[in-house]
Amino acid sequence: MAIEIKRELSQGKVEQRVVFESGNEMAAYAAHQINYHIMGYFPISPSTEVAQFLDLMKANGQHDIVLIPADGEHGSAGICYGASTAGGRVFNATSANGYMYMLEQMPVQSGTRFPMVMNLVCRSVSGPLDIHGDHSDLYFALNTGWPILLCRDPQAVYDMNIMALKLAEHPEVRLPVLVAYDGYFTSHQKRKVMTFAHREDVLKFIGEKPPTGFPISIDRNNPVTIGPYMNEPDYINNCYQQSMAMYRAGEIYEEIRKEYAELTGRDYPKLDLYRMEDAEVAVFLLNSASEIVKDVVDQLRAKGIKAGSISPNIIRPFPAKEIAEALKNVKAVTVGDRADSYGGHGGNMTNEVKAALFTHGNRDTLVISRVYGLGGKDFYAEDGHHFFELAIRAAETGKVDVPFDYHGHTPGDPDKAPKRVLEPLKYEDVKTGLITVEKDEETDELKVRVPPLRQLTKKPKRIAPGHGACPGCGIFSGLELFFKGIEGDIVVLYQTGCAMVVTTGYPYSAHKVTYIHNLFQNGAATLSGVVEMFHERKRRGELDELGLKDDFTFIMVTGDGGMDIGMGPAIGAALRNHKMIILEYDNEGYMNTGAQLSYSTPLGHRTSTSNVGKFQGGKLFHHKDTPQIMAATNIPYVFTGTEAFPQDLVRKAAKAQWYAQNEGLVYGKILITCPLNWLSEDQLGTKIVEAAVNSCFFPLYEVERGKTRLTYNPEERNKKIAVADWLKMMGKTKHLSKPEYEETLKAFEEEVNRRWERLKAKHENPYL
Amino acid sequence: MVTLPKLNDLGFFEIRLESIGGLGANLAGKMLAEAGVVGVGLNGVSFSSYGSEKKGSPVKAHIRFCYPDTKIRDTTPVERPHVVGIFHESLYKTVNVISGIYEDSIVLVNSRKSPEQLKEMMNLVGGTIAVIDATGIALEEKNRVNMAMLGGLFRLCDFLDPETMRTVIRKSLEKKYPHAVQPALNTFDRGYNEVVFQTFKVPEGKKMPEYVRSDTPILGYETQPIGGTITNPGNSILKDLSISRAGMMPHFHEDKCIHCAACDNVCPDFCFVWEEKEDKRGRLQMFLQGIDYQYCKGCLKCVAACPTEALTAAREEDGYAEKHRVPHRFQLAANQ
Repeated sequence: MAIEIKRELSQGKVEQRVVFESGNEMAAYAAHQINYHIMGYFPISPSTEVAQFLDLMKANGQHDIVLIPADGEHGSAGICYGASTAGGRVFNATSANGYMYMLEQMPVQSGTRFPMVMNLVCRSVSGPLDIHGDHSDLYFALNTGWPILLCRDPQAVYDMNIMALKLAEHPEVRLPVLVAYDGYFTSHQKRKVMTFAHREDVLKFIGEKPPTGFPISIDRNNPVTIGPYMNEPDYINNCYQQSMAMYRAGEIYEEIRKEYAELTGRDYPKLDLYRMEDAEVAVFLLNSASEIVKDVVDQLRAKGIKAGSISPNIIRPFPAKEIAEALKNVKAVTVGDRADSYGGHGGNMTNEVKAALFTHGNRDTLVISRVYGLGGKDFYAEDGHHFFELAIRAAETGKVDVPFDYHGHTPGDPDKAPKRVLEPLKYEDVKTGLITVEKDEETDELKVRVPPLRQLTKKPKRIAPGHGACPGCGIFSGLELFFKGIEGDIVVLYQTGCAMVVTTGYPYSAHKVTYIHNLFQNGAATLSGVVEMFHERKRRGELDELGLKDDFTFIMVTGDGGMDIGMGPAIGAALRNHKMIILEYDNEGYMNTGAQLSYSTPLGHRTSTSNVGKFQGGKLFHHKDTPQIMAATNIPYVFTGTEAFPQDLVRKAAKAQWYAQNEGLVYGKILITCPLNWLSEDQLGTKIVEAAVNSCFFPLYEVERGKTRLTYNPEERNKKIAVADWLKMMGKTKHLSKPEYEETLKAFEEEVNRRWERLKAKHENPYL
Repeated sequence: MVTLPKLNDLGFFEIRLESIGGLGANLAGKMLAEAGVVGVGLNGVSFSSYGSEKKGSPVKAHIRFCYPDTKIRDTTPVERPHVVGIFHESLYKTVNVISGIYEDSIVLVNSRKSPEQLKEMMNLVGGTIAVIDATGIALEEKNRVNMAMLGGLFRLCDFLDPETMRTVIRKSLEKKYPHAVQPALNTFDRGYNEVVFQTFKVPEGKKMPEYVRSDTPILGYETQPIGGTITNPGNSILKDLSISRAGMMPHFHEDKCIHCAACDNVCPDFCFVWEEKEDKRGRLQMFLQGIDYQYCKGCLKCVAACPTEALTAAREEDGYAEKHRVPHRFQLAANQ
């Protein structure tokens, strides 16, 4: 909705003020005004900023929302569900694969009738990974039982977020509500937005407190059973109630939007109709693209063509009758779907619009269906013109030549088809024999021989230069140093994260060896499938023709974020003890999505979701001890390492390979720098991780068949430094040296020391 | 109401900033837009390119200004800018930074070169080139490149009020970093004052080049292997990452090298080139040959790691990298 500020200032009854902000900022701004009780969240682009902005506001004392960083979207949706059963106001924001991961929670939230509001910042659901905007996540939402409000620009994001809660909590609705806006196009573009000047006016509109009179999980005088075991014949009746509530939501929405329009001067009828009064051709689009097409309508009208644009503000319930009415006199309409329903002869909107026309007796309007703008491909005015041309042609000829097609796809130039650039690595080059690992049959211990590292420069690297990581990124030096200790052929799997994104930006790949990416969290399961298929096919003799000289070493590479959301699959793979290595590069945060906290972020460290301000001093809880968690699965080998101690890391890599080829799963964690988000100097990366080791925050050790051994003890070498001396090397922890954070620093030092002393005890005692 | 110097068909004055991540172009774009919208009462929109861009990778920021009664509907990137701000001179090597300009557009470049030199480098047919040594100013004033670029951009956008920007600088810095206020103001002012302009007319018989939509891919549905699988992996070696260096680079001094591989262990970009040769005693040993600057992003971790003085940090000078590059000897498929 393009706003005319003057008009609204005079029309609205409530005092308003103008801000210049993006869609994500407006979702957060509305949430902070509402002052929700709980937000359970997990980072995913492009919605992550919503939690970031709220955290920043929280650090400045601007709201009381309890922000809970979940272990994944499934967890975040669970937190939200639980919180909503306890009767307070609940908020969330997600996108794409994050939405998929929480999908099974959605019908539970609606089916058990607990209101909440979630922002879906629309992005492509895909493999291969695409982080840009389309409506494929939104289309999955259509069948979840949540009313869905759409926002074409940041102003609407703000307005819909306020109306959404009122709608969700309405006694005759009692459903969770989804507010959907376009990733990047709306979420990240700054616009002028009118807002309520005072929080009290927002609360006056939605209601001071959530309505009472509904079962909650924390009322001792009224115990209830939430979520019983309900099959036929009862379940269908629950669904009918839900269906009734959904259609009622459409009617209640009408009331709410009128009330809102009176207050603010901004009206969002079910359909946003632009110059449709006498339109003969029209284009039907959702969200941001429907704004662009209005410029096209103006240009066509100037040429005397009766064009119009139609775009819904709400798609659940679907305004079928209103659409049929609006298209009554339209000869042809092009429906653009920003997601395909593969095999459905049109995306979901096409088929719903067609059904609406059919149901309401309109058999005359011709419908052309086009899938456009997938994965964030821009929608230009020229694309809008093309859509109108299709409608004009159909209107003129009375028939639709090609009812369904894609728009914006390109065949490509055959001369530019991909050609192999590099020869595959030669086996004899990677199997150098420079490193040997032998089992001493008497002691049963491994004897590892590693040459001076100079000699290992002969070995070709498994990753090619030309990747797009930040200058000074610690990931790749850490990975390649580890790979120096691995002899022979490897197959790698990377979970989603910086390492994955910067090495495989299509059509480029920096991986000389075979590489797989599946999802953020499912790598351990995926690679265990590859490993087992390899061994089974080999056993059946099916791989003979490949001429393999030796077994592959299978290595999964993950960030610390991947080990949060993927903890379950990692533990599962460890318990099954597949012959593979899980190598975690820990940079203490979700750096790929913009430096949000991970569970590995230490106490008090600043991230974009653990801001430092008057009311908050960085992360609120201690860092996860992943090596100890993995050691508790009793896998044969666990280790830690850093590039600051290269010989130590290469030795561990060699051992890791031996165990992964002979006994089972290996887990290793390397601490690596992220100068960008640690706010540290690029060149100091190695020194900082060295200091982390010497401060005993990141001890170098291994757990070999259950026995812990420190491989480097800074105390014995007289190298131990104070934790504070490590922390002062990074901007993200500078504040911890100030007197007001003394307690946090002390608590952190105590925890570091406690873990260190425990580790030393384990080093001393093989049974610990 | 201020007057916008030019408007396109939809009523917009459009600005595109070209940079690499880490130079503050995104923030500069936001500040520029706010100065127009909040400062002088225009309407406007600002956004950046988003993706897997990291620090050192090419990024763009887009700003549209219009009069308050103009409806803002377009969310597409700025393809036909009236003003381009180039934060990093060598970007032209890998990005068509002047794509879509009009013959009366102004291109502001952070450079020490002359407008003529820049015109040749960028293949500019016609238009005005404005030059500011933003990096030099930032180093001298101990402030940031984007502040000097903002000064230059304010000079180009004379409908904006530089005093608004000065107030914003003061307000945002004075509480937390009071000592940073004056350097920031000096940098901004010098950026504003030290811009040099030169206009180039389109030569007779020549036309401004047509713009190509920025979302045009290299491959297509007939050439792309199914499933998105990349069947020519390792092709990232074709990329030139030298534009990621923001001013500094390592120099290699072979005479001081002990070939210990400390640099190789910490280099994130695999720039060190080794060769097996006989040592003094006739045994085969690895020797560091030099640096493949095509991939060096100038992080200088190697300089910090080097136990001798074989690697030193230096400011990047034109042509040094090309002259001293020791290219990797990859096993190319085409050679087989």
